[in-house]
Amino acid sequence: MGLKAAAKEIWTRLEDRPVLRSAIAIGGLLGLGLALVLGLAAVGIVSLRFLADNATFLAVPALTSLSATLLSFAIGFAGAIPMGLVRAFAPRILRGEGWRRAAFAPLYGAVTSYVEAIRGTPAFVQIFLVAQVSGLIFPGNPNIPFWGGTLALTINTLGYQTEVFRAGFQSVGQSQVEAAKSIGMRPVQVFLHITLPQGLRLITLPLVNEWVGLFKASALLAYVAVPELLWAASYLGNNRSHPIEAFIMVSSVYLAIIVPLSKAVGWWERKHRIPGLGVAERTVGVGRRRAVVAAGTPAGGLD
Amino acid sequence: MITVQNVHKWFGDLHVLKGVSLQVNKGDALVVIGPSGSGKSTLLRCINLLVQPDEGDVIIDGVKVNDPRIRPEWVRQQVGMVFQSFNLFTHLNALENVMIGLRKVKRMDRAGAEQMARFELERVGLADKADAYPAQLSGGQQQRVAIARALALNPKAVLFDEPTSALDPEFIREVLDVMTKLAEEGMTMVVVTHEMGFAHNVADRVLFMADGVVVEEGTPDEVFDRPQKERTQAFVGKILG
Repeated sequence: MGLKAAAKEIWTRLEDRPVLRSAIAIGGLLGLGLALVLGLAAVGIVSLRFLADNATFLAVPALTSLSATLLSFAIGFAGAIPMGLVRAFAPRILRGEGWRRAAFAPLYGAVTSYVEAIRGTPAFVQIFLVAQVSGLIFPGNPNIPFWGGTLALTINTLGYQTEVFRAGFQSVGQSQVEAAKSIGMRPVQVFLHITLPQGLRLITLPLVNEWVGLFKASALLAYVAVPELLWAASYLGNNRSHPIEAFIMVSSVYLAIIVPLSKAVGWWERKHRIPGLGVAERTVGVGRRRAVVAAGTPAGGLD
Repeated sequence: MITVQNVHKWFGDLHVLKGVSLQVNKGDALVVIGPSGSGKSTLLRCINLLVQPDEGDVIIDGVKVNDPRIRPEWVRQQVGMVFQSFNLFTHLNALENVMIGLRKVKRMDRAGAEQMARFELERVGLADKADAYPAQLSGGQQQRVAIARALALNPKAVLFDEPTSALDPEFIREVLDVMTKLAEEGMTMVVVTHEMGFAHNVADRVLFMADGVVVEEGTPDEVFDRPQKERTQAFVGKILG
């Protein structure tokens, strides 16, 4: 058997086993990391002793990073649903007439300006701005760095998540809305039972991307004195003079949180997928799997 | 049952309906034919207020429904609608598609709604497809689920907007059979369609529209076999070709 045929055979066998695939990917990542560390240790750049002695040093900072990210993401999520709704549907109302137009014009303007302001400035700048302002308002309060930083992340992710929801809501077809109206649903019911559940399925992946991006952006809070992961790593690096070890450790913590999370969401999404909506069963495939997709797809396709 | 009086509708500068009137008696089936762009779909949407008429009245069962005091949601519970492209809710399976109106609009409990939805699926011959999602059903099956969804709310009348136009030829029959059975059971129906066989066999009245006006109306025999107006003759000649 040639090398190419062998690779294809392995790939085919792995196709139906996403968990095994993920395990191999994560195992490969661990192996590479370990090889890198051992290699660097062998040439004397990295001290294994230092790594072992400080193995748990980043545990509490990791919790700080996670809390700030989870909290700001959740608040941003809740706020992005109504704001995404305004972004998605106000333009249509604005083409009409009457009091609705008068009410929605300033609202749409405000939400759009907010989104543009957030997307058009660096997150770093937003974090500094919020930190300075909250420091002025509450001088000397020891909790202010954390809460100010979390507020800044919330302000940031709200802008991005609003656009994610706008896209999700807009990609729910108008024919779905018309059908819901035709069975007597009120506008609120149409939103709750049709637009929202369909939209959420369409934006699972972009939302995970946003979460991962936000978690990584939380490293910027190190520069406004929040004792989170990067701050702790810098402490190890600067005060204990082992910067390379410190940054290897902090990278490992980020990877250990982000990679399993992405894999878990992907697994959940496939497990709960609805035929014809959102994530495809498999986008690439050979052999058997393609046949499965074809059998589940009747005339008329997946529209 | 359904009376439309002198209804006008503009979309911007486009005068889509120019004073349309019609009457459907209880238990009758009215078939509306006409070239595309003649306002047939807009007329249907004016009856259940998916489109608000600019002038004129729509009266259902003695109630003037295009009145600001009447909630359009209430009207749409009285008059079901079946769409050209089915419009089943893609995130719900067949059973849930039929149930959702009973649960959320009629506020029935789960068990009652499910029993009723299963009965409606049975009526359109799809009891065995309750768990299938729309993407797993053929066009004909999807349209039959859509009919069950409309019927579940126990409407006084059902509007069909070209229900077989988006179907592959092999699936048209099963949908027309369901509609024929429904008409025989005495459902009041307004059907926009170009299925002449169906119109001939099932319609009590046929109405020919062009350019936003009713050109001619009569029994199927009158409109198809002895059309009086030139435009009707030309159109009928083409479709019966």
